Amino acid sequence: MRRYKNGLPQRRSGLLLGAGGLLLALGLNLCVGTRWIAPVEMIGALIEFDPDELDHFLLWYQRIPRALIAVYTGAMMACAGVVLQSLMRNPLTSPATLGVNSGATLFVVLGAALWPQLLTPGFLVAQGMTALAGGVFGAVLALTVARLAGLAQDPRGFSLILAGALVAMLLSGVTQAILLSDPQRRSDLLGWASGSINHVYADRLAVFWWIGVICCGTLLALSRHLNLILLGSDKAGSTGVNVPLVSRVAMLASVFAAASAVAVCGPVGFIGLVVPHIARPLLGAAVGPLLLGSALMGAGLCLIADLAARMAFQPYTLHTGVVMDLLGGAFFVAIIRRHYLSGRAGQLA
Amino acid sequence: MLELSNVSVSYGKNLCVRKVSHRFANGRFTALVGPNGCGKSTLLRALMGLLPMQQGEARLDDQPVHAMGRRSLARRVAYLPQDNHCPDYITLGELIELSAFSRSRLMRGPSASDQALFRDALQTVGLLDMAHRPLNTLSGGQRQRAWIAMVLAQDADLILMDEPVNHLDVAYQYSVLNLVARLTRQRGKTVICVLHDLNLTASFADEVVLMRDGRIEAAGPVRETVTADNVTRTFGMEAEIFDRNGRLVCLPHATEFSA
Repeated sequence: MRRYKNGLPQRRSGLLLGAGGLLLALGLNLCVGTRWIAPVEMIGALIEFDPDELDHFLLWYQRIPRALIAVYTGAMMACAGVVLQSLMRNPLTSPATLGVNSGATLFVVLGAALWPQLLTPGFLVAQGMTALAGGVFGAVLALTVARLAGLAQDPRGFSLILAGALVAMLLSGVTQAILLSDPQRRSDLLGWASGSINHVYADRLAVFWWIGVICCGTLLALSRHLNLILLGSDKAGSTGVNVPLVSRVAMLASVFAAASAVAVCGPVGFIGLVVPHIARPLLGAAVGPLLLGSALMGAGLCLIADLAARMAFQPYTLHTGVVMDLLGGAFFVAIIRRHYLSGRAGQLA
Repeated sequence: MLELSNVSVSYGKNLCVRKVSHRFANGRFTALVGPNGCGKSTLLRALMGLLPMQQGEARLDDQPVHAMGRRSLARRVAYLPQDNHCPDYITLGELIELSAFSRSRLMRGPSASDQALFRDALQTVGLLDMAHRPLNTLSGGQRQRAWIAMVLAQDADLILMDEPVNHLDVAYQYSVLNLVARLTRQRGKTVICVLHDLNLTASFADEVVLMRDGRIEAAGPVRETVTADNVTRTFGMEAEIFDRNGRLVCLPHATEFSA
């Protein structure tokens, strides 16, 4: 009897490509910098740490923490993007377009205005908590506005995209107003608000990593439910999925995953939007493998963006968020072109 | 057997289905026919638990449907909505596997019997060779057969379909409905199917339920129910019904639009 085949034929190579790319990006990120560390030495330092060697010190106290933050941020943003795009069946959804980033920024800026100590190095974790709360707040606000605007009647989730954009603009406006009232603190905050990966933030990663693990575990466990929701809520409901419950849990998990990444290193945009679109042609639309592959690719992309940020204008370090925005802006146009302006725009995910 | 007693469903503020009572016989192909907005689709969605019933209840083999869990209902009733989203890059094989959700367990792949069911469903609709193909590379007719295969692979005895031949050309309409009719004759499935075309209904259905304004206007075997009089009452237009070599043919007369 002939077997029915499952999944895209290129899925296996796609996953291998993602894993290989991540390893390569990780290696590059650790070796390349203002000071070149040879790969052999890098591996030696990973195996046995010698505190008297400058390279070992550099690696363990600066580059590895930085790389871990990049991996976490990239993976979380990408996973959140995959799930939000599947839930909304809209290719333009991402944590950033849902107000997570602007909410987090507003809360941190507001917190710093009310309580200036928040920006001192001793309060890194409190800063992260504030950002986490803000990210969740932004997304909840966007969802509430969308619901008021009648999200349920819109199969492609346009009202959510509009609500997200509206909320993002509103929150950024408030943020700008607060920043303008306090010029002294503006430069302190500007660094955070443009999303920078910095080895100092590793403390926050140590505090927040478990949020991402729980959220991604939840999303993986819900991958079959999410696949069915991708086909439409009536189809999913009739196949046995509790659509309202699963949507809410998945939404919450992806918002928390993204917000925890923003809490670690500030609002890094566009990974959540871009990576699922790179991953889908290789891995297919099924949420399980797509989550895994997107996490790999998001982490790899974030490592490369971080490397570019460090190397582009030496000796100055650019913000990773700025590099991502430059990359993502171009990609945004490509997505709109493919999904909204092409001939087959009517029948897409 | 599916039995409706006094079912009322409202959609938004409108009462779309008004006190409908009917028994759907087992192993028959029943067509649900009526003008646009008469409550056919709403009735199917309410039966699936996707819309709440205002009043009345549906019983499946004497068990109230609303008391069944989502998954146990999905094991007994499969539903094909009118509009299905066709996501990019999802393959036919993956689509079919999703149909077994109600029997699936966390972290476990489909069982051997489910896999046999998937193959069989694809074979039945003639798409076994296409299982690795992404859904959006299939033609409209193939895609519609793919959705039907997904419904089949759900392995339910009762199948509800909402306009399964919408957007298909006439050859595909006949082949898809022929397939559906075969399911009742050869596999003992019970099919309740919303249709718009009276000639298709007359060619393939065993029973017909004519609906108008949320009520059942007439119901029964096709031959006795699709009459000129009933068509006029249901659609508000004149029609001639003839018998041509044992097949009913419905010829509507064009009328001016009157509100």
